[in-house]
Amino acid sequence: MSVIDLSTLQKTYGDSPAVDGLSLTVDEGELFGLLGPNGAGKTTTLEICTGQLTPDGGSARVCGVDPVAEPTRVREKLGILPEKESPPSFLTPREYFQFVGRVRDLSDERVDAQTDAWADRLGFRAQLDTRSSDLSRGQQQKVMLAAAFLHEPSVVVIDEPLANLDPIVQEQVKAFLRDYRAAGNTIVITTHDVDVAAELCSRVVIMHEGRIVADCRPAELGEETLLSVFLDRVGRGEAGGDGLDGAAAGDTAANRSPSPTEE
Amino acid sequence: MGSLTGRLFVEMLREEWRVHTTLFRGERFSLFPVLLTLLTASAAFGIAWTGTDPAFVLAGAFALVFAFGLHTGSIGLIGRDELSNLLGEQTRLVFSARTLPISPRRLLAVFVASDVVFYALMFLAPIALGLTPVVRLTGVTGVALVAAVGWLWLLLLVTFAFGLGVTIATIGLAQRGRVGIALAVVVGVALAAGTVAVVTDLIAADPVAYTPYGLFREPTLGGLVVTSGALAGVSLLAARLFDVRHRRPTRRADPAFRRWNRRIGEPITTKTLLDVHRSAGGFGAVVFSVAILFVVTVGLVDLAGRITGVAPSTAIAFGAVLGLSAFTTYNWLTQYDDIETYHSQPVSVAQVFAAKQRAFVLLGPAVALVFYALAVGWQSAPLGEAVVGVLVLIGTSGYIFGVTIYLAGLSPTEFLFDTALFALFGLAMILALVPILVIAFTFAPVSPGALVALGGWSVGLAAIGIAGYRRSIPRWTARYRRR
Repeated sequence: MSVIDLSTLQKTYGDSPAVDGLSLTVDEGELFGLLGPNGAGKTTTLEICTGQLTPDGGSARVCGVDPVAEPTRVREKLGILPEKESPPSFLTPREYFQFVGRVRDLSDERVDAQTDAWADRLGFRAQLDTRSSDLSRGQQQKVMLAAAFLHEPSVVVIDEPLANLDPIVQEQVKAFLRDYRAAGNTIVITTHDVDVAAELCSRVVIMHEGRIVADCRPAELGEETLLSVFLDRVGRGEAGGDGLDGAAAGDTAANRSPSPTEE
Repeated sequence: MGSLTGRLFVEMLREEWRVHTTLFRGERFSLFPVLLTLLTASAAFGIAWTGTDPAFVLAGAFALVFAFGLHTGSIGLIGRDELSNLLGEQTRLVFSARTLPISPRRLLAVFVASDVVFYALMFLAPIALGLTPVVRLTGVTGVALVAAVGWLWLLLLVTFAFGLGVTIATIGLAQRGRVGIALAVVVGVALAAGTVAVVTDLIAADPVAYTPYGLFREPTLGGLVVTSGALAGVSLLAARLFDVRHRRPTRRADPAFRRWNRRIGEPITTKTLLDVHRSAGGFGAVVFSVAILFVVTVGLVDLAGRITGVAPSTAIAFGAVLGLSAFTTYNWLTQYDDIETYHSQPVSVAQVFAAKQRAFVLLGPAVALVFYALAVGWQSAPLGEAVVGVLVLIGTSGYIFGVTIYLAGLSPTEFLFDTALFALFGLAMILALVPILVIAFTFAPVSPGALVALGGWSVGLAAIGIAGYRRSIPRWTARYRRR
């Protein structure tokens, strides 16, 4: 069963298309990665899925809800970590979690339990009562990550989950994401890091210039690597080739792996 | 190294331009000096037209420019939270001593120089030009007028730079901990005591003669020496005291959100009020904004009484002018977040706007009404006027809130520098407030019929405010999601 279903999405900023006729579905229980270089359209796609942005064309359904028509309802169902967003400057992490708990109608006991669990998991207990503006970028990212999971959503959308985190915390977050998925939840991440996508994701869609150029399952790539697929598709795109559509991109395992839209 | 300083100066000037165009709706900011010239000219001429001494208008302009210099220094150097909230994570060149092979002191000096030049061209030159009609009223004409306006510009520049220097030196003192803060307080108290002593004639002196305004009024060698010495002294102090590498200690806060939210009952309103409470100045900033309007109105009421020989209606005048505080209060309430702050939560634009409205109702009129009560009590206003004055205050507050949120959404500061929007806002204010002020200042004591009309007018303004607020929700919901 699909939790995200996008059909011929179109979004243009000025003259340049950010998302260009994008269609894809994400199935329940996947740890799905949107991989692409900077400016590929990953963040725009997620912003449309979470109701932050209205597309110029196409349609979207997320958890059975149209994010264009009902953005607030979509956000009720999702856990969201937007790119570049940081916790409110004048609230402490503890207060921010309490704020999120109130907005999402969670009990105080549940918020307190989640606060303790996340502070221990990511090691920011000592900063729980520090003003968020005085936290480092990495600490702010930890707080935002925890806030996205506070209500234990079954679908989580994360833009660059490992940004600004040190290697030890990155490993902890990766382990948590795998466990969270193993519990039957769906996670969608964007990343420009091929290694992260290959290591973490059950399925990866590579985007370039607003379009899908490959749709693959890293575990099934055989002799190919995700990096070689990425370089092949995105590298050719950078060189000006136009045969980058999944269906016409050459005989690779990436294409042989059927995407849900083809099924 | 000379060319490096020159390069740095040009880049800092460019940075200043980009900060302003990013903050204030892009290239339309370039029209701002024209608007400022027109506004200054019309305001100054309007005040002079009422019979006010042109010298008083010019003195007021110098005082405002000094305050502007004080404020600019604080925004550039300590308002980093505010800039980050508006522009996102960003680093100014002045704070790049750790990454550039340039001494912090030179960075600070070039930053101040570039800031002074930027403001001299974009703000002070238009103000000086706008004051031309008032300078002319002092009897200067022809080529002498051009020279006088040029001299005025230079002295306004000195005034602005002095204000900037005072702020930077004060921040430098504050960076030195409690001893520095205590020293700054001692200097401040001494200055205040000196001012009181001069005003109450305890000391027979004319300190104004030694200020840039005094120099403009009557250039003397003594004035020139003191003004130049004061500027040089404050600049040296600022350079010695301020450390651009200073790191603010980590600030902790006792958990207050739940406690506040239990009383307020809505999380975004609670967050908004906590933001204001914990920002530099806290709720004191809101009170201070209203206090400035209060002092201005005291001056206006007194002046109008002396000019016309008829005491204006204190209640109606204070009701109308204190209602203007709605704009500054709304500014404080929207300064520390934007719609993106809530994008990861199931919160609609309508909910955010409703929370801002609620915070506004809790904070704005309450503070303004306290000052209103002070004014009405002080002048023993007639009961009928006092009651209608409350209606006027609430009506204008609601109107200004509705017009502002409709035109500017959650970014009222930005739209001030958008020439077209600002003109629209100005027109909306004139249409609403001029009839009230005309009655307050020229028809006192206000007749029962006029009081009823004013009451009706105020209710109408409040209704327009509510309608503006309601229309703002679909308007800004669409805008925020279109991008």
